Order: sequence, then C-alpha cells, then structure tokens
Amino acid sequence: MNRKLLAISAVLFFLVMSSCNSNKFSTYKKTKALMDTFVSITVVSDSEDKAESSIDNAFSAIEHFGDLINFFSDRSELSSININAGLKEVEVSPETLDIIEKAIYVSEKSGGAFDATVGPLIKLWNFHKKVKPSDAEIRKNLPLVNYRNIVINRDRSTVFLRKKGMLLDLGGIAKGYAADLAVEVLRKGGINSGIVAIAGDIRAFGLKPDGKPWNIGIKNPRQNNDSDEIIARIKLNDRAISTSGDYERFFLQDGKRFHHLLDPKTGYPADRCRGVSIITDKGVFADAFSTAVFVLGTGNGLKLVRETGMDAIVIDSSGIIHATDGLKGRLEIEGSH
Amino acid sequence: MKEAIKNTTLADRLLLLFLIAGSIAGTFIAGKAMSQGLNVTVEIDGKPSYTFPINIDRTITVSGPYGDSVIEIKDKKVHIRETHCPNKLCVKQGWISNGAIVCLPNKIVVIVGGNGNNPPEDIDAITG
Repeated sequence: MNRKLLAISAVLFFLVMSSCNSNKFSTYKKTKALMDTFVSITVVSDSEDKAESSIDNAFSAIEHFGDLINFFSDRSELSSININAGLKEVEVSPETLDIIEKAIYVSEKSGGAFDATVGPLIKLWNFHKKVKPSDAEIRKNLPLVNYRNIVINRDRSTVFLRKKGMLLDLGGIAKGYAADLAVEVLRKGGINSGIVAIAGDIRAFGLKPDGKPWNIGIKNPRQNNDSDEIIARIKLNDRAISTSGDYERFFLQDGKRFHHLLDPKTGYPADRCRGVSIITDKGVFADAFSTAVFVLGTGNGLKLVRETGMDAIVIDSSGIIHATDGLKGRLEIEGSH
Repeated sequence: MKEAIKNTTLADRLLLLFLIAGSIAGTFIAGKAMSQGLNVTVEIDGKPSYTFPINIDRTITVSGPYGDSVIEIKDKKVHIRETHCPNKLCVKQGWISNGAIVCLPNKIVVIVGGNGNNPPEDIDAITG
C-alpha cells in the first residue's frame, strides 16, 4: 500500500510541478499610464531585476517620445510645428522628424486615406458632447487638410506646414511608433521576447517561455456582453498588430453612428468598415495603415494591404469578416470552431 | 506518520486524494472567479488607492495635482464626470464597463477589473 501511496504522491507532485514553469525563463508584466492611455509591457526574462529595469527603460522612452508629439501640450515639438503653421519651419528631434516622414509615406501609399494633417477637421467634432459640425464648417476647413503641404528638411531637421491654420495630429500613428521604440529599448537591454501594448497598438517579439507565439485577441466591434468581447484571436511573433474601429469614440444620432475615424477627403466619419486590424512588421505601419484601410473600405483597402505585403482582418459595415491569406493557420474566428 | 498511514482505510486515502485534488482545483477556480472585472479600482499617482464594486452606484471625489476629479459609478459603468486638468480627455472618454480611463495630468487611473486589460486567460493582449 505504501508503494501505491508513493506512486500517487509522485503523480500528484508531477501534476503540481508541471503546472508551474519548469523553465528558468518567466514572463513579467508591468502597466503604466502614458501617452493619455494605458501601456502594458510583458517580457520574458530569467531575472526579475533585469525584466523590471528593461521595462522601466522602455516606459521612459515612450514617455519621452509622447512628450515630443503631444497634441495637447503647448511645450511639445508637435505644438510648435502647429503654432508656426504658415509662418516658419521648426527644428525638431530625430524621432519627430522620422514619424512625420513615415506619416507622409503612409499618406502617399494610401492616396490620402490616412492624412496626419486632419487636425482642423478633428477639432470641429466633439464625440463626447455629441457635437456634429455644420457642412459649412467642414467645407471651410477641408482645404487645410493635405499631407503634401508638410515640408520636411532633413538636413536642417525641420518641419514646416505651408498653410496657416494647418494642424498635424499624429494620433493615428504615434502609438504604433512608440511600441517600436519600446521594443528597440527592450532588445538593447537584452530582452529577446515580449509584448508592448499601447492601448490596442501591439508589437510582439520572440516567443513565450513555452516556445509558443503570443495570443492576441481582436475586440468585437459590436460587443453585447462580457462573453463576446473577442471576435477573433491571432497568434503572433515578431509582428505588430493595430486596430481601428468605429466603436472607440462615437455617438449615435438619428440612427447613424458618428465616430472619430474621419475620411480626410470629406471631413465625415468613414462608413465602409466597423473595424480593421493590420498585421505587419512595424507598429508604426500597423497603426497608420489600419486607419487608411478603415477609410478605404474592403475593396481598395485589401488591395493596398496586398500591395504593401501586409496582412489584415477587415470587418465591413455589414459585419462580414475578411482576412488575408497570410493569416491562415494563425487566425481563429470566435464561434467558428 | 507510518502508524497513521497504516491505520487508514482505502476510503480514507481516496478522501485524502479527493481533498488534495479539490484544493488544487480550488486555487485555479478562485483565480478565474476573481478576474471577472467586477471592481472599479482608482489609482492615484501609480498606486491603487480605492476599490469599489461596480454594481453599487456611487460618486467619489479624488484629488490630484490639478485638483479634484469626480468619478461616478452607475448602472455597472464608470466615468470621470469632472476634472480640472487642461485637455479633459478622461471626461471625453465617457462611460466604460471594462478597461481603463486614464487622466494623465491629474495622475488618476480608473480601472474596471484587475489591471485595466482583463483578457481571457489564454489571451496575452487585446487589440481594438
């Protein structure tokens, strides 16, 4: 009988131990409020101290960058560019110059569906107070929106907005860019795998301690209760994912949904999609192209995705989910299994 | 100890086994039950300061560098009703039933659930 007890004990011991992580690498997660949102960083490390200091360094990099491009702070480099619109060029730090160059690149690729100069239109809307501007107000500000009027001088590291009243708003690209910066800092600190999640802009690198890719849930654009929060899940490693959705900031009026993702060409919310997730190497492009594809809609949007070698999950205005072939085997739609 | 084991019957040992298995399962069940986002946690300057159940309506006033912020819990939702910080982004965010509201200038974070991002167990992060 003692033998049996020993055998039972051995089995129990094995069960308990196998539920713990036998690998010396573990995951460590910290969360901080930065860039007017919530930033979570998870890293895989063999040392808690190393994990903690690396995460703190990454938080500092995000905070520093967030200060440079803060739309609401008078002291940011971005505000300085905006205040001097139509007046003079402004010297900026390399990160500010780089993100604006990347914003222009996405604008060009998307034919202006993404446009960082959309600021004069955004300021007309107040989604909290359900303020919808008049057609006249929108028409008046439309000529101020054009990425071609951003002038970059790399030699002098300057940015100039040609027209007075223009406003650069990097809200559609900055969080993805910051996730890239954070991953760079983590890698320099000797971290080889982890996740940086700046709100819904996520960059995953390396693998989990069990050798598997990271699992990312995609939010359901029309969530009814706690159990249907996720519409799909996707396995990611060394990729970034960002989502643009019509459910983040919006109000309903006369049965119509007015949300924050404006079509830069009309000044009104784009209505071809409910949500778009872009999967690509860099967070900066996942972030900006998710807005561009949201504005373009399924047809032209997915064409752009294929041309630029990215992957996407598009939920169109009738709720149909379209996914690119590159996601086969990595994407699982909820309720489809 | 040996004597004690000898004096047990098979039923005793099965019961012991059942109890051990039950307690192990209990830790997992409890962990899952506790992460269902039923609480509103208010963090001030990075430190969890208050926790309230989300199903009881109430209004709380907390102080930050920009003065008082008024947080309201109603109908299992929470929002920041008033604040004196410059851009008032937290007020503009409106009502939430999960996730977090961040008021950066006033260093106040309102979290529904455990950590502001409360995904199912096998999900590492949520995009959207």
